[in-house]
Amino acid sequence: MVNLTIDDKQVTVPKDATIYDAAKAAGIRIPILCHDKKLHPFGGCRMCLVEVEQMKGRQIPACTTPVTEGMIVRTSTPDIIQARKMVLELLLLKHPIDCPVCDAAGDCDLQNLTYEYKVNANRFTDEKFQHKIDYENPLIERDMNRCIHCGKCARICDEIVSYGAYSFLNRGLEAKIGTEFDGPLNCEFCGSCVSVCPVGALLSRPFKFKARWWALSKTKTVCSYCGTGCQLTLGIKDGKVLTTIYDENQGFHNGQLCTRGRWGYQFVNSDKRLTTPLIRKNGKLVQASWEEALSAVKERLFSAKTAGGESAACLVTPRLTNEELFVLKKLFNVALGSQNIDHSAGYAHNALSAGALESLGYAASPSTIADIQKTNLLLVVKSDAYETHPVLGFEINLGVKRKGVDLRVVSDKRGKLSRLPDATTYVHKPGSEVLLFNAMARVIIGENLVDAGASSISGLAELKNSLQGYAPEKVAEACGMSADEIIVLARDYAKAEKALIMLPLGLGYPGHGKDLAQALINLALLTGKIGKEGCGVLIMGEKNNSQGAVDMGVYPAKGGKDAVAILDGCAAGTVKTLYVVGENPVVSYPNRKAVEAALDKVEFLIVQDLFLTETAEKAHVVLPACSFAEKDGTFTSVGKVIQRVNRAIAPVGLSRSDFEILNALYAACANTQPYADVAAVFAEISENVPAYKGISYAGLGENGVIWPAGGTPRFVPAEGGAVQGESGKYALLTGSALNHCGTLSRFGEGPMYVCPAGYAELSYTDASALKVKNDDLLTLKSASGEVRLKAKVSARMPQGVIFAPYHFGEESVNTLTTGAPVTWVNVSK
Amino acid sequence: MSNAPAEQTPTEEIDLAAANHIIDKYLTLHGNLMPVLQGIQDEYGYVPKPTIDLVAERLNVYPSQIFGVLTFYAQFHLKPRGRYIIRVCVGTACHVQGASRIVETFFDKLHIGHAETSPDLRYTFEKVACLGACGMAPLAMVNDATYGSMTVQKVEQIIADYNQRPMKK
Repeated sequence: MVNLTIDDKQVTVPKDATIYDAAKAAGIRIPILCHDKKLHPFGGCRMCLVEVEQMKGRQIPACTTPVTEGMIVRTSTPDIIQARKMVLELLLLKHPIDCPVCDAAGDCDLQNLTYEYKVNANRFTDEKFQHKIDYENPLIERDMNRCIHCGKCARICDEIVSYGAYSFLNRGLEAKIGTEFDGPLNCEFCGSCVSVCPVGALLSRPFKFKARWWALSKTKTVCSYCGTGCQLTLGIKDGKVLTTIYDENQGFHNGQLCTRGRWGYQFVNSDKRLTTPLIRKNGKLVQASWEEALSAVKERLFSAKTAGGESAACLVTPRLTNEELFVLKKLFNVALGSQNIDHSAGYAHNALSAGALESLGYAASPSTIADIQKTNLLLVVKSDAYETHPVLGFEINLGVKRKGVDLRVVSDKRGKLSRLPDATTYVHKPGSEVLLFNAMARVIIGENLVDAGASSISGLAELKNSLQGYAPEKVAEACGMSADEIIVLARDYAKAEKALIMLPLGLGYPGHGKDLAQALINLALLTGKIGKEGCGVLIMGEKNNSQGAVDMGVYPAKGGKDAVAILDGCAAGTVKTLYVVGENPVVSYPNRKAVEAALDKVEFLIVQDLFLTETAEKAHVVLPACSFAEKDGTFTSVGKVIQRVNRAIAPVGLSRSDFEILNALYAACANTQPYADVAAVFAEISENVPAYKGISYAGLGENGVIWPAGGTPRFVPAEGGAVQGESGKYALLTGSALNHCGTLSRFGEGPMYVCPAGYAELSYTDASALKVKNDDLLTLKSASGEVRLKAKVSARMPQGVIFAPYHFGEESVNTLTTGAPVTWVNVSK
Repeated sequence: MSNAPAEQTPTEEIDLAAANHIIDKYLTLHGNLMPVLQGIQDEYGYVPKPTIDLVAERLNVYPSQIFGVLTFYAQFHLKPRGRYIIRVCVGTACHVQGASRIVETFFDKLHIGHAETSPDLRYTFEKVACLGACGMAPLAMVNDATYGSMTVQKVEQIIADYNQRPMKK
């Protein structure tokens, strides 16, 4: 620790602190323009000049100067104030003072400092910049005339996002921030640059001219897209969510958001939202009152109840809050007597609800998000971890670049993570993951790299036996890797002091189920890498409350039907009433044709959703539900964090929150009193769900609570076979596109601007063999169907492999797939 | 590697073999961006766009940063340059000795202005501040050859001479 004096205050700070950090710790504010706590110090703007007595009164930048013992610092002498005024005068020389029409006004560091330092006249004159404004993309407006060259946008894009869209171009007076070839911006559109821009040079176009900064009210809540659990601040005016607001002190991610979190909010106030209940009359869905719709639903549920409950089934989205899921489960299990309830097609939660549960004793990841930056070796299963959970991707970037984490990507295609410094990517054949990880486990056992503690875990002998057939030399060919690569990876993993495995789940990843999770947990258990900081397996649920849905037990138990069996039951006539809450199986479940046939067949289909989805169009009754911005409750994210969701606006139209609807149905069907509020349900959850024991709704606070995991681990052998290719066919992999999450993001304008439709991504070699260019239409044909998708030629795909995102309703890839990890398709132009 | 639309195929058709060879040479060197870009400029006479994409891919540097470096240093050129680079000094000594008439004569005869290249890629013309040989004012240079005590007649002779010279190196 170092002691110094700032403005006559004694301060003690760590020796790697800067004067700026020390002043902040002492509660002394030093003005900044180019400094950001998330970024490396830059020292460009000269606003943070201070005087240090030992430096003979020279003015030095506080943000880049490390503290030394006995330093005496003065932050606001008359000379310093004069110098800062001069800095502002020089900046205002080029800055167009167009604050009345600038969206940043009110949130502009330059404006605020100009006011604070009373710079009401300028001693200098000069011409303003004449840069062309970049209106080429729909999300980020770049007006470089307003730029003050703090470089924060270029630095955040490099240091955290690792995309590198911007750089300083030219030199001296002509210097400016620009893109490669000084062209229009064409990037991931995460908007990190907009969030840190201290002026109005980078603006959110969807928010432009929507509201003055000071007219917005703010509500803190949690993002409703992926399972990362990023905290959001919504900007609200006149009952509408108009923007997301950057707050650098929010959440583990320090306010950092991805493209869908930042720009995907528009679905909340979309004019496509359902505003009244709908009932099918004479084959057509027509508007109805809540009384009419609910009594029709109740009637069906009552008759199902009388018949024993088994004829009713439910498919629910893990986007609901824990409280809603809990009440829904009670509605089915307790009130109706049906165990037929499932989510995420039955397979996208298997890694947790079956794999982790069996191997660890609890259905959750043993690790937390904080482990990513604390580990030494990070093994990421599929480069898609960046696309499914972009903000965790930023954590990986930071771990690799700042903490020197050794990144190993094991994937069936390359990806953005492969480009990180010193990252190693092992490209294996599609569907061979379990083989590969079993082979690694065998190497670890064979080379005596097993941790001493592993012998006390039950099942070691069975595991050893089960791994007989997985010698690296034997499986190398089926994996498409060399035996040496497998051996080296296994050794490095075992020998690393701390190692973390990341496994993304999702509807697009049918192969990421029980066996894969168990093969990975075996690796971690064998090498003693569970239960320690920076170690373990981080299983990343796809949706905002995927972990919560598993915690609430929203999957079949006691002989109940799983998602596949429910749909089969619909087709066979054994399921007569199907209640679909928020799910869109027509687009997101495998085998679209079979799903549609089942939904067409079922006697009574109730769909509760925000939008008239492809599934809702088939319903007999459609109930309009509320978005996350209109409700209170809790979500549980990756790493078991329970966080509060706060209501920001009143329900849109006549829509009601899922909680309100389900609460009423539960009370009616169970013939009991409804729950008083969300907190009452949470109280019951904490009594009934052991993991949530002792946690109170009020006690969750702003950053939520990580529920404590405890269980008896054991080795469970995982079955892995070689995926048999079919000659002349391509391996089709489905998955997530960076801008989308599930089928909800299709209703957010931002993501749809950037990625409006599905595509088929293929390698240059295959593209030239098929004679296709970007945007040519390709016909993909599998045993179960045919779709036409635009080609996207890219360097990341291996030969013979095609990737297609699953989010889109038109030409949806689930027409081709049937739930196997790899689908073999014929491709033609 | 984003999901943003893929880069458009380059319009310039150039042979990247030489650029690949230059990158191979410096691949393991720490801080290899400058020598690679200088090598490419020497080889092609300028830094063509496809080579920037290639360098970005092979050295794992963002294209935007490479572009930043290229626009920072005056030594790099992003457009094709003439086979013969004519530089006329307009520094103090040369100015006094009538450099402006020399410049104007080159403009008239070559139909190109300052920092411009003739459409046949034979000439690039540049005014420069000082070539460091004030005793020979007014001064001109064509590639590495120096021409002192320039006159309007000498301009015509130089152009006639270089018009006959080969375009290939």
